[in-house]
Amino acid sequence: MQHFQVNDRCNGCLACVQNCPASALDSVDRGEKRTILHNMARCARCGTCWRICPQDAVEFKHLLESDWDEVATLNLARCKVCGETLYTKDFGEVLSEKLDTKVDSLCPRHREELSRLASVYFFPGKSRMKMGEKR
Amino acid sequence: MIVGDLKPIEEIVSSISDFKKILVVGCGSCVTVCLSGGDKEARELVRELSHTGYYKNDPPDFSHSTIERQCERDFLTSYLEIPKDTEAILSLGCGAGVQTMANTFEPLPVIPALNTTFLGASEEPGVWQEQCRGCGDCVLAFTGGICPVAKCAKSIFNGPCGGSRDGRCEIYTDVPCAWSLIYHRLKKQNNLKFMTEYREPRDWRPGGGLGPRERRRTGINGSPEHSAPYPVERDALEVGT
Repeated sequence: MQHFQVNDRCNGCLACVQNCPASALDSVDRGEKRTILHNMARCARCGTCWRICPQDAVEFKHLLESDWDEVATLNLARCKVCGETLYTKDFGEVLSEKLDTKVDSLCPRHREELSRLASVYFFPGKSRMKMGEKR
Repeated sequence: MIVGDLKPIEEIVSSISDFKKILVVGCGSCVTVCLSGGDKEARELVRELSHTGYYKNDPPDFSHSTIERQCERDFLTSYLEIPKDTEAILSLGCGAGVQTMANTFEPLPVIPALNTTFLGASEEPGVWQEQCRGCGDCVLAFTGGICPVAKCAKSIFNGPCGGSRDGRCEIYTDVPCAWSLIYHRLKKQNNLKFMTEYREPRDWRPGGGLGPRERRRTGINGSPEHSAPYPVERDALEVGT
């Protein structure tokens, strides 16, 4: 998504380039063509370009409201019982490393349920606690 | 940046309770960064103010919007949509934003939700400290980059007062004495000569002593060809030069 956009009234006069207080606009002439350049990292979104353009060509609204940019896409870890999203696999690995233990992909509900089943299995008769019961 | 704090919720409620339909407007600049008046805070404020317990009758109808800067009149007229039948605007902008909106949308009442507190900087995440009073005649070149106007409780200009003890301020003992900080900074810079140099008494007129300040830049669309000499004299402004 290009944030700085001009409509077809732009005639390349460079009023915006010359008046941008943040030096976020530039132009390059190559062969028979002039290209207007914009650098979002420099842009202060001050609106000077929009105010000063004699052609009313700067579509400033794109600098105020725009779509989301995709930044990164990572693999998710889900609960192995119910499939609920937990965290990313990379995050799980870092967590395992920091805790120095293998972190099971389980949501809190199924982690508790499996712990209860394990106690019933290993200590029969001692643990009859059900989910939601207090000790 | 300009740092602001949300007013007590009871104060906000009492200033809006006569209205039925209110637009809550966040500001996308300074107060967004200092976590007091951005889009997130505007949404949270709407959620909080919608609780029926605050009102004798039904709570007002709220909508919310955030604009990049409330202090730019043409941003407001071009990009802030005011829903039909809005009876008041509750602004999370600084004092400049509130006043620009009040001037732009007159006679619609514009109510501040923030107290504008100071010009500051963030020393660590979540902490902002006052750095500047906008006094109009910066002395940081002689004070090691530490402002005696903003950081001395008495805004003393020519060295510490008699109450400075062990580098602490006598008024607020939990804060350092600004002049102690200045002395040690200048010493590190081998610039202690600035402490003994004679300086003329300060002219406070550029600091607001002449009334509301205005600056005009040349060459900008609609601005005069020649700017007024610095500092802008009040009588010069009055005759429109």
